[in-house]
Amino acid sequence: MSLAIAGMGWVTPLGNGVDAVWERLLHGDEASATPIAEQLRDRSYCAFRVPESALTGLAHPRLRRASLISRFAASAGLEALQAAGVKVDSQNAGRIALIFAVSNGGVIYTRRFYRDVVESGAQSASPLLFPETVFNAPASHLAAILGVTGTTYTVVGDGAVGLLAIKMAEDVMTDQSLDYCLVVGTEEIDWLLCDAYRRWRLLRSEPPIEPFSKRKRGMILSEGAGAIVLARLSRRSAAEGRGGSITIERAHPGGCYRRRTEAKEILMRIVRDLSEIEPDFVVSSANGTFIDHAEQGALEQVIPNAITYAPKPALGESVGASGLWQVILGIQALRHGELPPVLHVDPNTSLRLSRSRTSVQGAREAIILSSGVNQQVAGLRLALS
Amino acid sequence: MAQLGSTTGEEAPARIAVIAAGVVSPLGFGLTETLGSLRQGRDCVTAVTRFSVAQCRCKTAGQVADDRLLAGVDKKLRAQRLHRASHMMIQALREAMTQVPEFEPELTVIGTTSGGMSYGEEYYRSLRQSGNLRRAPTWIANYPAQKPVLDAQEEVLGISVPCQVIANACASGTNAIGHGFECVRSGRYQRVLTGGYDALSELVFTGFDSLQASTPEKCRPFDRHRAGMVLGEGAAVLALENLELARARGAPVLAEIIGYGISTDNFHITQPNPSGAGARQAMERALRSAQISADEVDYINAHGTATIFNDAAEGKAISALFNGVPVSSTKSMMGHSLGAAGAVEAVVCLLALQNQLLPPNINFGASDDDVDLNIVANESRPAVVRTALSNSFGFGGTNASILLRRVGA
Repeated sequence: MSLAIAGMGWVTPLGNGVDAVWERLLHGDEASATPIAEQLRDRSYCAFRVPESALTGLAHPRLRRASLISRFAASAGLEALQAAGVKVDSQNAGRIALIFAVSNGGVIYTRRFYRDVVESGAQSASPLLFPETVFNAPASHLAAILGVTGTTYTVVGDGAVGLLAIKMAEDVMTDQSLDYCLVVGTEEIDWLLCDAYRRWRLLRSEPPIEPFSKRKRGMILSEGAGAIVLARLSRRSAAEGRGGSITIERAHPGGCYRRRTEAKEILMRIVRDLSEIEPDFVVSSANGTFIDHAEQGALEQVIPNAITYAPKPALGESVGASGLWQVILGIQALRHGELPPVLHVDPNTSLRLSRSRTSVQGAREAIILSSGVNQQVAGLRLALS
Repeated sequence: MAQLGSTTGEEAPARIAVIAAGVVSPLGFGLTETLGSLRQGRDCVTAVTRFSVAQCRCKTAGQVADDRLLAGVDKKLRAQRLHRASHMMIQALREAMTQVPEFEPELTVIGTTSGGMSYGEEYYRSLRQSGNLRRAPTWIANYPAQKPVLDAQEEVLGISVPCQVIANACASGTNAIGHGFECVRSGRYQRVLTGGYDALSELVFTGFDSLQASTPEKCRPFDRHRAGMVLGEGAAVLALENLELARARGAPVLAEIIGYGISTDNFHITQPNPSGAGARQAMERALRSAQISADEVDYINAHGTATIFNDAAEGKAISALFNGVPVSSTKSMMGHSLGAAGAVEAVVCLLALQNQLLPPNINFGASDDDVDLNIVANESRPAVVRTALSNSFGFGGTNASILLRRVGA
């Protein structure tokens, strides 16, 4: 089933607003790394954080006590709906599905909640914090803000989860009673998360992220949200009227690798399945870890001529939000006919990369690949028609 | 009573068979033990042993015994590394696949709320208390919510299957089954593995205690003196297949799933709409999806957490839609296993359909004055059960209902 992109929104470490962030990426901007310290241990980390200015104007009683992850999601989701010209009211509240992608979830409040339990005992546990620790808290806040009364799912996974959520949206939209599906990927950062990824040997202490590097020095975490509004193709004309004529031609169900050495083979299968028509470019999820080589191998073997763009050196690894960011970037590149430069590329990398701002005028097909570090991989194909 | 059945004149959607099931819960390991516990109305709630509950109001939970759980994986080292939730999923999936060894799912849809949370707790405590972090990589790698699903696939199926993990709080298991059902019904997939899991953790236990949602007393769903829930744990999986294809290849058909309803009530992040509107909408949508009327339902496995608010709202919704249909909450016997609950309770419905019995709602004395429910009080009883409804409602106002039908009914 093809679904039209009716609207998009995002909140990133480079700010918010689809076109504003896109311009910064085209100019080769990189998010600023912020140190994250914690009294728990003397070690500090760096992360790409969303600037406070990106969330100004977001006021709703439901968000008063909500964690950052919910605020990011609300901001991106509302922007996407506004761009799509969709207003939720009592007439259509059941005709809009909401699908969320998260990986680590509300880790800030989860840590605070459990810290109180560990430090002061169970009687100190906060009944206000606990509901915000639940994976579907961001989705429930946005559903309440919008008044959505129908299908609401939160999908959990690794860095592939954003594309898996879009795949779920494709499945859900077979229900003819639905007009739109808002897919939101969201994530927040905490020191604990940085420490965990470091102990897993996937995080480096400071930027840059070096994509496709043999040294595999690791990633820098980031935060934010991305959102897209999907519409059935019968509503496509409406979407086109607002400047969008791009469809998700196929969302692959994805795959799971049991051992790291299997990732390349599964990615090759996904790329092959999505390459019935040779894509003009690929938006890769390369993040400076072991998974880059699996992606590189799959791309070089299956579609060696496609140009590859990797946004994570500029935006960081936002895990649950990253797949949605990649899709938005793919859509922008198809619309504008150019790709931003991939930052911090090893000059010896053999992959055909957009090493500088690169024209892809006339491009009509793009593949988005999301390879998670915890066994999940996914992909989808975008088409400009 | 609502009359929701309608014939649209459109082509009938595909019918969905449950061709295998597996379960691990405080009621037992496997379908046979679970059925035995249901027949006996066993109270499987015991004192919590996994962590200290000295400072909690509630001291009990439904727990799965570790000695049998950990025996499900042959390799000792791997067994030690995997989270208990993985072991539960492995045991449940192994039971299901023993029934249909040829089953190759195209998609796995599983519900959970907290993944390998207790590994996150161990990691945090070790950091906090400057403890030994040698096992930190193991804790971190086995913490994510998809890991128990992938572990079970690897251990039992030996193949990699695309996997969607739904975390819709306490409705997750029913949402997963409902979404799996819709995937097959739409014709996009022919075979889907679905279910749910959750393992007890200190953080979640303390969280419900902090909300005063859990009780120091017995779990008494729908009883006028109910004082709250007790937590549980477990895993259950169901193998779904297009009914025609299943029959054509001679696969066993345990039951059909005939309808699914989902709603979001947006009332409060932890409390249901007291009118029962969200619950009612989910049940109405399930009936509409199945194209049956409310009077065709013979048994309702209620969400029935035994909290004041949930049972009042759900009771109102059931009373408004159904006329004297037998209702029980089997959480009274095993506690609330959160993301697993909907899947375990779907298996309970399956056993009710197969064995023509009504599972009991134990610890029941008397109903609320203003709620008129036909509670299956304290003892299981034989009955004609052709169609069963299972409800699950969760934080964030997410509500889900599925309908199962006996083969040949």
